[in-house]
Amino acid sequence: MDSADIALRADGICFAYRDGEWVLKDISLSLPRGKATMIMGPSGSGKTTLLKVLAGILCPQRGRVEVLGHEIEKQAQRSLHSLIGYIPQQLGLVRNLTSLENVLMGALGRCGHGKVMLGIFPRHEVKQAQAALDLMGISDKSSEKVFRLSGGQRQRVAIARTLLQRPRVVLADEFVSDLDLTLASEILRFMRQAADHEQITFLVTMHEPQLVREFADQVLILDRGQIVRRLRTDGPQERSAFEVLQ
Amino acid sequence: MRTDLFVMALVAVLLSIVLGQLGFFDAARLTKGLRNLGTLTLEMSPPDASVLPVAGEALWETVQMSFAGTVLGFLVSLPLSILGTRHLFSAPVSNLSRLIAAGIRTVPVLLWAILFVILVGLGPLAGTLGVAAYTVGYLAKIYPELFEGTDPEIMEAVRSTGASRFHLVRFVVLPEGANAILTQLLFMLEYNIRASSILGFVGAGGIGFIMQVYLQTLEYRRLATVLLLILLVVLVMDGLSAWLRKRFLLVPQL
Repeated sequence: MDSADIALRADGICFAYRDGEWVLKDISLSLPRGKATMIMGPSGSGKTTLLKVLAGILCPQRGRVEVLGHEIEKQAQRSLHSLIGYIPQQLGLVRNLTSLENVLMGALGRCGHGKVMLGIFPRHEVKQAQAALDLMGISDKSSEKVFRLSGGQRQRVAIARTLLQRPRVVLADEFVSDLDLTLASEILRFMRQAADHEQITFLVTMHEPQLVREFADQVLILDRGQIVRRLRTDGPQERSAFEVLQ
Repeated sequence: MRTDLFVMALVAVLLSIVLGQLGFFDAARLTKGLRNLGTLTLEMSPPDASVLPVAGEALWETVQMSFAGTVLGFLVSLPLSILGTRHLFSAPVSNLSRLIAAGIRTVPVLLWAILFVILVGLGPLAGTLGVAAYTVGYLAKIYPELFEGTDPEIMEAVRSTGASRFHLVRFVVLPEGANAILTQLLFMLEYNIRASSILGFVGAGGIGFIMQVYLQTLEYRRLATVLLLILLVVLVMDGLSAWLRKRFLLVPQL
């Protein structure tokens, strides 16, 4: 694959929280631009750690990560916001703020410290935040505090925040795991649309094989800190391998 | 199990020794104390309502001192606490901030009041500054630990949007900690109303001064009125705190 078609490339990533106890062992992967890649694997296999390393939150002891030609270790995490968006497992929403305020946080990387510190965002950012909420179908909840929202509505707020951030690559950690299949499917359908139309690249950790089969272009199976299998979900052989996994 | 029993026995023995040394097993003294309590209660009854205007005015001054001192102390403690939060600022900055807070905290409120009486003279100004200083010491101890408890996932998610550390304070740390900030502030206000009642003993304004006068002149019926008034204010404050908590702190967890 041409390097221009690769949104994110990781080479030989090794990571340990404690000396010698490797959580990630020599992981190399590449994410095709505008495609959705899903990572599956048992609990404790290193999925969350891998996403944090790719997002620049954790610094690997070995290996390098490149996003659209930019090596992330050389960049301050604050400057990565236009490249990488990160949605953690519990979504990382501020419970005491409204949906709109949470979405507006996606614009913080473009805003200074003047009026924003008083909670006054530029008008065009507010309009875009409202448009993102509208797109997610929850514009009527914009002034509702997040702790009052249902699980599905919170997921949409988290996605709207990431949309406002306008990153090229979105890393999401089991962000639909608390939803029922119908709702999770709806959220992922939107994700696929964004991947197709906006050329946004997604990397999502996932437990549910049915959703993976429906929405992933590429699947990575992670076990004990290593990628043990790479699958594409379109070919007949791969599909059968996928049935085995399921 | 045997270790637990041994520890409990050891604590019981130590407590007995300490209580003995403090005079808790002096039956004659305790009996005399009980008799004195009866006498004092009789001498305090019925409370003398004629001092209500004077006591009410002094108590209002105490409430003003507590309120102003608490708010001023809160305003100073908040930036100090933010600077003392280790995951937001470097170790030298947070350690210096914590050292300043610890230094302020080691001085009790009465000593602060004496110090400010020396600096700004007798009256409620000294008392208010004393309350404010004590509040800074207490809140600047509690708040940094509270801020450090902010869910790291939220910090990571918002930091990844390109937020600066000041954005994180404004949009994550303060809103996430709002409940606990308010709870501690209300607790501090309640505490300061009780603590301010005795600041008048050292000339720092409020109801303490007339309490001291009634004690020295053995006017216990008047003292009883003052104590009942303080009790009333503390109960009103408790009610107000409960209402504020109910109004603002009903936040179910995600």
